[in-house]
Order: sequence, then structure tokens, then C-alpha cells
Amino acid sequence: MRFATGILLLFAALAGGQQFAVQTHTLDNGMKLLIQEDHNIPEVALYFFFKVGSRNEHVGATGVSHFFEHMMFNGAKKYGPKQFDIVMEKNGGNNNASTSEDETVYTDWFPSPLLEQMMDMEADRIRDLSFEAKMIESERGVVYSERRNGEDSPFGSLYELLKASAFIAHPYHWPVVGWPSDIQSWTMEDLQTHFRMGYAPNNCVMVAVGDVKAEEVIALAKKYLEPIPRHDPPPPVRTVEPEQKGERRVELNKPAESPLLMIGYHVPRTDSPEHYAIELLGNVLAEGRSSRLYRRLVDGDQLAISVEQSSQFSFDPGLMVFTVQPKGGTDPVRSEKAFTEEIERVRAEGISAEELQKAKNQWLAEFYRGMSRIAVKAYELGQYEVFLGDYRKLHSAGQDVEKVTADEVRNAAQHYLGRKNRTVGTLIPEKPEVSK
Amino acid sequence: MKRIIPFLLVAGLLPAQVHLPQYTREVLPNGVVLDLMPRQGTPLVSVLVLVKGGAESDPPEQAGLASLTAELLRRGTPTRTAEKFSEEIDFIGATFSTRADAQSTAIETEFMSKDTGRALDPISDAVLHPSFPDEEVKKALSEGIEASKASKDSLHEAAATYSQVFFFGPQHPYGRLAEGDEVSLKRIDRAAIAASHARLYVGSNLIVVAAGGFEPAEMRVRLAKAFGAVPAGQAYQWKKDRPAESGSGTRLLLVDKPDAVQTYFSIGNPGIYRTHPDRIPVWLVNTLFGGRFTSVLNEELRVNSGLTYGASSRAETNRLTGRISLFTYTQTATTVQAMDMALEVLKRFREKGISAEQLASAKAYLKGTYPTDHLETSDQLAATLGEIELFGLTRAEVDDLFARIDAVTLEQANRMARKYFGAGDLVFTLVGNAAQIHEGVKKYAPQMREIPIATPGYQAK
Repeated sequence: MRFATGILLLFAALAGGQQFAVQTHTLDNGMKLLIQEDHNIPEVALYFFFKVGSRNEHVGATGVSHFFEHMMFNGAKKYGPKQFDIVMEKNGGNNNASTSEDETVYTDWFPSPLLEQMMDMEADRIRDLSFEAKMIESERGVVYSERRNGEDSPFGSLYELLKASAFIAHPYHWPVVGWPSDIQSWTMEDLQTHFRMGYAPNNCVMVAVGDVKAEEVIALAKKYLEPIPRHDPPPPVRTVEPEQKGERRVELNKPAESPLLMIGYHVPRTDSPEHYAIELLGNVLAEGRSSRLYRRLVDGDQLAISVEQSSQFSFDPGLMVFTVQPKGGTDPVRSEKAFTEEIERVRAEGISAEELQKAKNQWLAEFYRGMSRIAVKAYELGQYEVFLGDYRKLHSAGQDVEKVTADEVRNAAQHYLGRKNRTVGTLIPEKPEVSK
Repeated sequence: MKRIIPFLLVAGLLPAQVHLPQYTREVLPNGVVLDLMPRQGTPLVSVLVLVKGGAESDPPEQAGLASLTAELLRRGTPTRTAEKFSEEIDFIGATFSTRADAQSTAIETEFMSKDTGRALDPISDAVLHPSFPDEEVKKALSEGIEASKASKDSLHEAAATYSQVFFFGPQHPYGRLAEGDEVSLKRIDRAAIAASHARLYVGSNLIVVAAGGFEPAEMRVRLAKAFGAVPAGQAYQWKKDRPAESGSGTRLLLVDKPDAVQTYFSIGNPGIYRTHPDRIPVWLVNTLFGGRFTSVLNEELRVNSGLTYGASSRAETNRLTGRISLFTYTQTATTVQAMDMALEVLKRFREKGISAEQLASAKAYLKGTYPTDHLETSDQLAATLGEIELFGLTRAEVDDLFARIDAVTLEQANRMARKYFGAGDLVFTLVGNAAQIHEGVKKYAPQMREIPIATPGYQAK
């Protein structure tokens, strides 16, 4: 991520039966445009989704996708260093960007009169990014500081370890921000290679939502973005993670006030038919205080102060992760035992009709909450287009969720939440050495 | 060679003014303020209940009382157990969250329009008729204490918390934490919670705001019936403003976290309150100093030098005079370099001031980002309206905002930079590896205190 934000657009738990009129167009160079007019406020959310992320990297240059994301703000041919931000902010706009294992997303929010200026600046950096040695060194320090934020955080440290243990072959193994030694040694050549590999217009989806006219967006895209030449997208990721055949356990010893427990299960890629059943399973287990895990771990046994579940859209099979914050001074083994009992119960007994309906209602209400913001609409349209292959699946998502049966949720639990398929990460607090 | 950038002329095309959508305001016979803002075409309803008082109403020894009282609302009434409440709310996909800030307790809820009837009953029951079962009080206290301890595992959060407590000092209402800490929470019991609810959750102390997709006449009947039945009671008596830790001079707190790989630090001085006449110019000037990505602070510490992932500043706008402070972090070895640089940026900002071009940029930025932050969704509109009521403002707060921004002059802005940024005694708070940085940071303050992060609670005693 380019900088920390209060708005977490995490883990797309959205969709529904509502129709959103979306106009589409594909430029001659292959860039696909999705536009939705929404005149609620005089603002625009303009998003670019490049289908390149840390899964396209190699050992020795891990983290370069994320580093590249930062470099996209450090000057191109027409607009030099700092100009992207200066021009945006002086005209009432704001931006951010984020990199995941699978994609790099650039997010611009601005008053609608700024649209043409934004198209010009985006085209400039997509086509003609400059690589100045001085900017590279300074930005390397910024990214290393971003990594240190993770190192100082129990959650960040444990998640990195969990992922690296759950994936031993596939590139999801390494952290998006990169290993420290790689951060120190990225070269200009690494950046240029990455640019040539991933930043093809034909590897990008652009979404505009807000106070715009679709024809105007298309006309401006033709003027500014269409001249960018197409080239080869990143080569396919060949490595397939071998099936996990036994529980993996990792432990992290770190000075901390409280222990932390994180359990990850391999789940299929986002466009699998079981996608929604898995999302609803996540709701039944950990969404709200009436969820099974909250009731058991926090409310009933009083072993933990929180339990959360997350998963993320992905091109390749990913992880469903549960994070439990046990109470300080308790043995996390007790939380793990109670957690496992609840998982085994849902696998053995399935879920009730009422739980299923609740999970669906939660899902739909969350969808509507998201859809009341142009930023979330732009993000979700892009996510469905990129990971489910068609933004129209956002339109039908509500119906697709409604179709899921209790048996399908139970089957998903039986298939994916088995002990052999999981990695358990535990942070055991250790006493800090006294400063001298 | 420097290129000349052909900027398009767009600043003049920003909307001249934004407006708060229409709403009705009514004071029920028992004193409850009821605001209704119906919006066409949205399938969601946000209901916000504000209780005046918040953290400043907590007894000094029982910081966290208002927050804990709010947390317990959902955990049992004469007709509902905690489990039943959660089951009802979750079943319709509604949200129900509570928090206390410096001057109020907020109960924030959102649900689908079609579920209005099913949602309002448990929500009003929880807010108005909690029974505070002993077992739930015990659980909530234990969770609060554990959460406070665990908050020290996030060094960003810990640094922000330490800096607030240290800046205001134990005698000031803001020198105590709204959510309490492991020390203060242990002094709270069921009797204190029930008394706090009986005193504050009364008609003359409540603001109820609904925004979203609803039929206004029907919503009025429902909310007036539920909230109009509460005893009028007495409005909370606000505390008088007072300076932060008195007569204190420049001072520094170093919190030792021996395994930290970065130092997290803040530098602050007294600022303004929410309704202060300087508020708009201070907001503009803070935007330029550390309130956005191209601010001078972020530019120097992140963009030009790569010392940090982020550097920012904020001007607090609570009911009493708050802080203006900067916050950033850097690897342990560059702590002094980053602190020197932050102070240098502060000094230059005060002395050199800002240019007309910078001021114009900040004005456009605030106007451009305001709608997305305050006027887009039903919960944002409810929050905006609630804030207007809480601070005794009017809709002019939104409707005249852009005109007020436009009216700020360069001379006025530069006066604000001198008046509020780096003015007087500075208060430094650092969380990091003390053994590595202790010697280097001594020079910033004659009064330096050092405590291990493991010291219970957040008070630097």
C-alpha cells in the first residue's frame, strides 16, 4: 500500500441483486473500461487495476511490484517528480494505491472537472515512467519503513510467517512488501523489467464511477490512453502449490503483551463454484457477535478478546485465515482447542437454515453499505471483472448468494477446514530484555 | 532542465458550495433532540444516538466509564439477553457499535430500510433499558483490560495514546483515556455503570439522528415513541476549559520498547477547540503543514529523504482546547535525524509562512475532499448532523463552509502558522528502543521522563 488509510476496502464481501447501469468499452490497445454514472456527489472515483502483483515476481526481487507501485508517483515524461500529487491535491483530489499478491491498483478520487487532467497524468505515467536513481534510493527507504511497520506489529510478523509456511512452492510464499534483503538490493533493471512485464494496457481494467458522462470518459480515454502501445502481459505463473498433507505449525517468539493465534486453510481461487459457499461459511463462523467462534471463544469460554476471519480475491488458490487474540496470560493452546472443536462441529453437523439465512442477510446488507460509496463501487466492479472474469457477476451476486444451500456450506467446511489442510501460527510473548 | 507543466485550469470549476440535505429538527417534550433526514433511493437507514458527556464526564479515577457503559448496552435488558440482542441484530445484517470520545458517547447503527421495524426495537431497548447483568459487567471489564494491554502491541496506537495522556496530564479530562486503561478499568463496578447510565441517558441529554431511506412520518412516530418516554433528567454540565498540564515547560516522555525496530514520535503544542473562531484557517494551515500527502512535513521526511513511510499532523477539534501535533516514525538509527528534521520543518513553517499559491491549493483540497468524507453516505450525513447538534452549531456549518474557506486571507493564514505551529513549550513523546536513543534525544527537553512499556496503564508516573 502506498500509505496507510482509514478506509479498509478489504476482502470484498459484496454483491447483490441490484442493477447498476455500467457502460463498457475496450480501447484498441486492449484496455477495458467500465463506467458507471452516479451523480450523488460531484466527485469521481477513477481506478486502474493492473493484473500484476507479487505472484509475478521471482526470488531475489521479491517486493518489486509494490516498490514499483511507489515509483509510479515519482515522475514520468510530461509530469516530473511530485507533480502527480501536487496537481491532484491543488485541484481538490486525493489518491492512493495498493499492491497485493495478484494485482496493483491505483485509486484516484477527485472533483469531476479534473477528469481530463487525470487521464493525461495517468497516461503519462503508464506509458513513460521515468526511473531516476535518486528517487529510487529515497523511495527504497520509504518502503523499508513500511516493512518495519509490519516487523513491529505482532499481526504483521505472524501473518508473514504463516503465509510463508502455508505456501512452500507457489509465489504466495513471499510477502508482498518483499524480504528485507531484496528491498536492499532491488536494481533499476528490476524495475524496468517489471514495467515491461506488467504495465501493458491490455493487462489493465479502468473503472470510473461518479459524476461523469460515460461518452466523455470514453472520448478522453481514447485521446489519452489509447495511444499507449499494447505489449505482452506477464507470463503465466506456472508453479502450482502441491496439496498440503498434514498440519503445519509455526511459532514466533517476540516480546508482546498478548499472544496471537492465526490459522490458515487453503481454499480455491475466487472464480471457483464454491466461492460464495466459502464466504457464507466465514460469516457463520466469525461475522458478528452471534457467530459461532465469537460465542464460543469470546463470550462463552472467555479465552479471547476477538476472533476475525478474512480471505482475499485471488487468481490462484489462496488462504482463509482466522485470527484469534487470546487474553494476555492465557495459553493460546486453550484458544486453539476451543477453535478446533467449533470447526469440527461445523464440519460434522453443518449449519441450520436460520444460520444460513443470517449469513446471507449479513452478506447482502454489507453489499448495500459498500454500494453507497462511489469508491467501493469502483473497487468492486474492478474486482469482479478481474477475478471473476466479468463485472456483471457483481449484478447477479445477490442471486448467486441466495442460491447457496446449507449442504454446500457444510461441504465447503468438510473439504477445506480439515486439520491436514491448515497451518497454525502462534505468537508466544517473551519477556523483553531490559534496555541497558 | 525543468519542464514547464501545462496545468489545465480547473480550480475555478469546483462546486461553489455544497449543502447539507434538508432535514427536520424537533425537540421532544422530554428534551430529546430528534433530527430526521430522509434520502430518496437509498436502501439503508442510519440511526445515530449521541449522549452528551463522553470521556470528560468520567470520574478522574474511573476513566473508561462512559465507554464501558456504552459497551454494555447490548449485553442485556429486562426483555433481552446479550445473546438474543446479537442474534436479532446479526440476523438482519444490521450494525450496532458504540464508542465514547472526548465529549460524547455515540451509538451508531445501520440497517436495511425494509428491516426498520425489526431493528429499532432492539436498538432503542438496548440504549434506554440496559440491565447491566453482573456476569456481563465482569466479562466486559476483563475484555476492556485485555484490549488495553494488547493495544501496546501496536506501536502506532501506543505512541498516539501515550502522547495524549502525557500532553494533557492527569489533572485534565483529556489526560485520561476515553476507553480507560488496565488501571482505571479495575476501579469500575456495576454500581458506577448503572449510575452513569441513569444520569446521562436522559431526555435533556440525548440527540437522535436518522438519515437514509425511510418514510419521515413513520420514522418520527417510532423514534418519538421510544425516545420520548425517557425521563427528562438533567442535561450534563460541561467542564470548563483549562490548560494542559500546567506550568510544565518543554518536556519529553520516552517509552522504552526494547525490541522496537523503529521510533514512533509526536511533537505537540496547544491548539484550538471545535467552535474556535480560528478553526477554518487552522484547518487550512494544518493541511499544508501535515494534513495531506504533499504537506511540507511529509514532503521533507518521506518524499525527499526517505526517512519514513509517513509523517502527518493534526489539529484536534474537541469541545475543550486540544493539541496541534505532528506524528511520524523512523528506524531507530535515524531517530535524531528525523526529529531534527521535523523541528526544522516546523521552524521554517512558522518563520517563512506559506505562499498565496499554497493557500489556494489547500482551499481547493479541502473543498474537493469534503463531500466524499462528510456528505456521501447516510452514516456520514448522520454523523455530520450529530456533530452540528452536539456542538450547538447550525446547518450553516456545512452550507457556508466553502464561503468561509474562501474568505481566509494569506495574512490570516500566516498568522495562524505563527500562532499555533511550534508555538511555546513543545511536548515530545517517543516510543522506541531507549538504550539506543536515550542519549541522542536528551537535548530536546530539560525535563525527560523514561518508562518501560510494560508499566501497567498509560499514565507516566
